Amino acid sequence: MIIEALEIIFLFCTLLIVTYLVRHYIFTVAVLRKDKKTAKPKAVLAVNYEPTVSILIPARDEELVVGRLLQRMTQLTYPHDKMQVVVIDDASSDSTGQIAEEFAKRHRVIEVLHRDQKTGGKGKAAALNAGLKRAAGEIVLCFDADYYPQKDIVEKLVKEFVDPAVGAVQGRPVVLNEAQNVVTRLVTLERIGGYRVDQEAREQLGLIPQFGGTVGGFRRSIVEKFGGFDESMLTEDTDLTFTLYLAGYKIRYAGDAECYEEAVDGWKAYWRQRHRWARGHMQVCFKHAFSVLRSRKLNLKEKIDGLLLLNMYFVPVVTLVAFLVGVSLVLYGASQFFSVLWLFVPVSFYSLAGNFAPFFEIGIGAYLDGRTRIQFLIPLLFLAYMYNILICTKALLDLFAAKMLGKKQVNWAKTQHFGDRNRYIMN
Amino acid sequence: MQFGNNRWVSVSFVEAIVLCLIASFRLINIESTITLLIFNLLFTSLIFQLKGAVNKKLFLLALGNIIGLFWSYVFCSVSAVGTSVFGDGFNSIYAIFFPFLNFTWVVSFWSLSLAVLTPQANAGTEAKA
Repeated sequence: MIIEALEIIFLFCTLLIVTYLVRHYIFTVAVLRKDKKTAKPKAVLAVNYEPTVSILIPARDEELVVGRLLQRMTQLTYPHDKMQVVVIDDASSDSTGQIAEEFAKRHRVIEVLHRDQKTGGKGKAAALNAGLKRAAGEIVLCFDADYYPQKDIVEKLVKEFVDPAVGAVQGRPVVLNEAQNVVTRLVTLERIGGYRVDQEAREQLGLIPQFGGTVGGFRRSIVEKFGGFDESMLTEDTDLTFTLYLAGYKIRYAGDAECYEEAVDGWKAYWRQRHRWARGHMQVCFKHAFSVLRSRKLNLKEKIDGLLLLNMYFVPVVTLVAFLVGVSLVLYGASQFFSVLWLFVPVSFYSLAGNFAPFFEIGIGAYLDGRTRIQFLIPLLFLAYMYNILICTKALLDLFAAKMLGKKQVNWAKTQHFGDRNRYIMN
Repeated sequence: MQFGNNRWVSVSFVEAIVLCLIASFRLINIESTITLLIFNLLFTSLIFQLKGAVNKKLFLLALGNIIGLFWSYVFCSVSAVGTSVFGDGFNSIYAIFFPFLNFTWVVSFWSLSLAVLTPQANAGTEAKA
């Protein structure tokens, strides 16, 4: 009886893992086919579409990096009379506010919104909502303070809004400090898998490209109609993705709109960031999973992709369960059928947790980006995945504990940025 | 590696791959054959779509199969010796960890193959420590 129960659990877990592997195999094939058809990257459309744009930069204790981004904002090629940059100094205890004020004095395009200890510090979603009230542009773009965009990024992102069905757009983050250490290199692999293949394939296959909350934007009127960002969500970006799709809007991925970002450079910082993402993603899953299933605005393939996307951070927990149950079955003498299924569990260990991009997808992504040396790090995904199993399991347990104890879940669990990566930027 | 597009070279690589599959099934175990099949499926459906000479890719695929066969044979031998020395407990440990060990060569060989196939023109654009 126990063996049969274990076999059913194992079968369920393995089928889920295989479903994700097949999904990412399809993604990889789709991107390869597209790459064959269009050898050159998409050029900026020569359409005369220049809506007013507000750029929101939520910043809390970002004195080491915010100046670099604001300097870049002044160099953007988009017409400055149609642009507004709003820095949301969210109760910073350092000189973030002063630095932003100095830029605002010198450049009319930049405005600063100060939030004190009483009103601020309640999370990124709350800061963005405050910024949204100040925003006057038709389109709102968001950049984290540690980002460094291309000069023509606004044009590349905004062009997607020509289509009135588009509610949001997402660009591609590229790791700035890749060469720093093994953690930053692994994050680079993760970004390659997530954006060069996953997002690109979702765009290609008409699925659900994800709004990432930074290097992207949305139509202000739509988000205002929803009442702004849900401040109870840790990952307000994923929440907005599903809110938009459930309301019948689309999200576009603009892979040519690239922006440098500072990746976390240590295992501790990696844990903190991924724990927040995992917990937030799980929160969004609980909020939207049934709505996605019932939605009349989503077609079948969007529903399947949406559900798989929502459940992404549960997969490392599922692989842990599959491993433990599989070990028990092997010890108690499972059938040949289960020993064959057992082969698929290790494949999942050579994947990335954040987007479940398996090794073959990341390798192809790196190839398409013309990368050679980073390919050698792919076997190290095994260690990163083991670490992510711990992160996601902890996130799930914390989420349950918070639900049961009624604890508040949102705060600025922000990643510390150091700004010493300016040396990587070559103008 | 210069193999050109010689048909006989291609045939010999394909033969080597088929022989590896048969040998793994007859001499080792079904798990090692399935691992080889997964590797071959991924390689032929994804890497064969990339730029580069077909024979170069066939050479890499045949090499991967030979390495996989050798790898599985070594671990099977270790299992046989371990079981006779330490008893059935060793066999259980082997059964649990064999798939993980098996995919070590698949992933490593995959990354090496892609590194070999990436056009050199792009290789210089990478970040250096």
